[in-house]
Amino acid sequence: MSKSDVEDVVDVIESHDEDDADDARNDFLNNGFGTHWVAEIEGEITAISGYRQVPETYGSGWVSWTYVLENHCGKGIGKRLFKFVLEEAIEAGAQKLFIKVSNYTDEFGNNIYQTATSMYESFGFECEIVSKDFYDVGEDQLIYSKNLLPKLDGEIEVEKEKEKPAIRFADVYEIAETDGAYSFSWEVIDKSFFQKRSFSVDDLYVGLQAVKERGGRIVFLTFLSNLPLIHSPLASAGFKFVGQLEDYYEPGVHELHFVHRLDGK
Amino acid sequence: MIPIRDDNPQVSVPWTTYGLIGCNAFAWMVLQSGGFGESFEPSICKFGLVPAQIMGNAAETTCDGFTGFGLLSVLSSMFMHGGWMHILGNMLFLWIFGGNVEDAMGPLRFLVFYIVCGTGAAVAQIWSDPNSLIPMVGASGAIGGVMGGYLMIYPRVKVHILVPIFIIFWTFRVPAWAMLGYWIALQVIEGVVSLGSTGGGVAFWAHVGGFLVGATLIFVLKDDELLFDHPFHGWSDNVDPASVWEDPNNRQK
Repeated sequence: MSKSDVEDVVDVIESHDEDDADDARNDFLNNGFGTHWVAEIEGEITAISGYRQVPETYGSGWVSWTYVLENHCGKGIGKRLFKFVLEEAIEAGAQKLFIKVSNYTDEFGNNIYQTATSMYESFGFECEIVSKDFYDVGEDQLIYSKNLLPKLDGEIEVEKEKEKPAIRFADVYEIAETDGAYSFSWEVIDKSFFQKRSFSVDDLYVGLQAVKERGGRIVFLTFLSNLPLIHSPLASAGFKFVGQLEDYYEPGVHELHFVHRLDGK
Repeated sequence: MIPIRDDNPQVSVPWTTYGLIGCNAFAWMVLQSGGFGESFEPSICKFGLVPAQIMGNAAETTCDGFTGFGLLSVLSSMFMHGGWMHILGNMLFLWIFGGNVEDAMGPLRFLVFYIVCGTGAAVAQIWSDPNSLIPMVGASGAIGGVMGGYLMIYPRVKVHILVPIFIIFWTFRVPAWAMLGYWIALQVIEGVVSLGSTGGGVAFWAHVGGFLVGATLIFVLKDDELLFDHPFHGWSDNVDPASVWEDPNNRQK
């Protein structure tokens, strides 16, 4: 595919979700198609699917922009394309794929992502984390995952070395595609003589206050599982544990998800 | 009772401990001629700490012709020793306990900790006999501080000790609180007994003073984040910090 195909691909997405279409256009224009593929029928692009590997991991990837042109839904095109994507991911050495799905239901009570969710489940994807009220009040984010390479029989869990980088929060930002869900960006700094390595509960309060002032309703944070210093301040500040994406960074190093509600629920 | 080693893992390279042992060895071999020769006794007079002189209670010391280093002798005396057994004993204690205390605060802070403990030891010794004309030398006060700090953060760690019973040396493993508690109790008792005596000998109050400063200062300088690496720190078993999320109240409802 080339840049000239971007608009045809975006049209496929736009037939379902205009917001996603805009985000996809920016993604493809900025990052290229990379590991994305389309299905064509008589020269017409009818479906798009693919994934992007996470650079700082040893083989995790996120499935992205999986859509079938509305008037071609239900013909098995999506399933065939997605099967191809999985085969390509295995070929490229990806270890585990993740998918973010919403459980949004329309005014008639229909879960509009049910078809997609069922398809992922049919390929062996399982829900690993449910972040409640992630996209909006009542609209959760479900993260599905699938190990592409089976674990070896009798594989021994190796305890990973704990790391203690000096972490400081840099800013708060609203998470894309959400209404009032925020996160903190953070960076690793050089530790000075008397400085603590971990962020403190006070640092978290500063961030939470900043989110409140911007009208945020909920804060989601993610950290690596091999950072022992994060737990005490997070728990003290009232964060709750949502779950973990197992072996996200490497075998034994998971991605931990935390939430803090500002609406008092 | 001689400590041989402890069961505490060394996490980081103890650069300051190595450096201090090197400095003591250098001072002993170069400035004090390894305890031999004509320059040995003058080195004690020159670099040792004379309480009466520090307090301005004496113009001269027992060392004829030497006026000492004044306040700087607080520092210089920490690196001087009175004999081979003195320096070897001190360095053995520093080797065993210093590295782990350094682990708990990092090399720079440990250097500050060591010097402040040594200074506290000097103050205690001066307090015990401000008119003393006898020069005090030795790293034992500062190392007493290291032992005080060690007791506060690693009380449960097993220390292997060598105990002579009749003519045979036996080894035992005892918790640090027992070994160091016994040691400091002995220093206090000997210190009380030695009060009022005018002769030379072991500076027990320097040991006590250093120990107390170390046991206090450790709470200012220790870095709890570094202590995560030590399985035996504290009085109780350490728990996985992530276990806080096992509480249902700390999980997303």
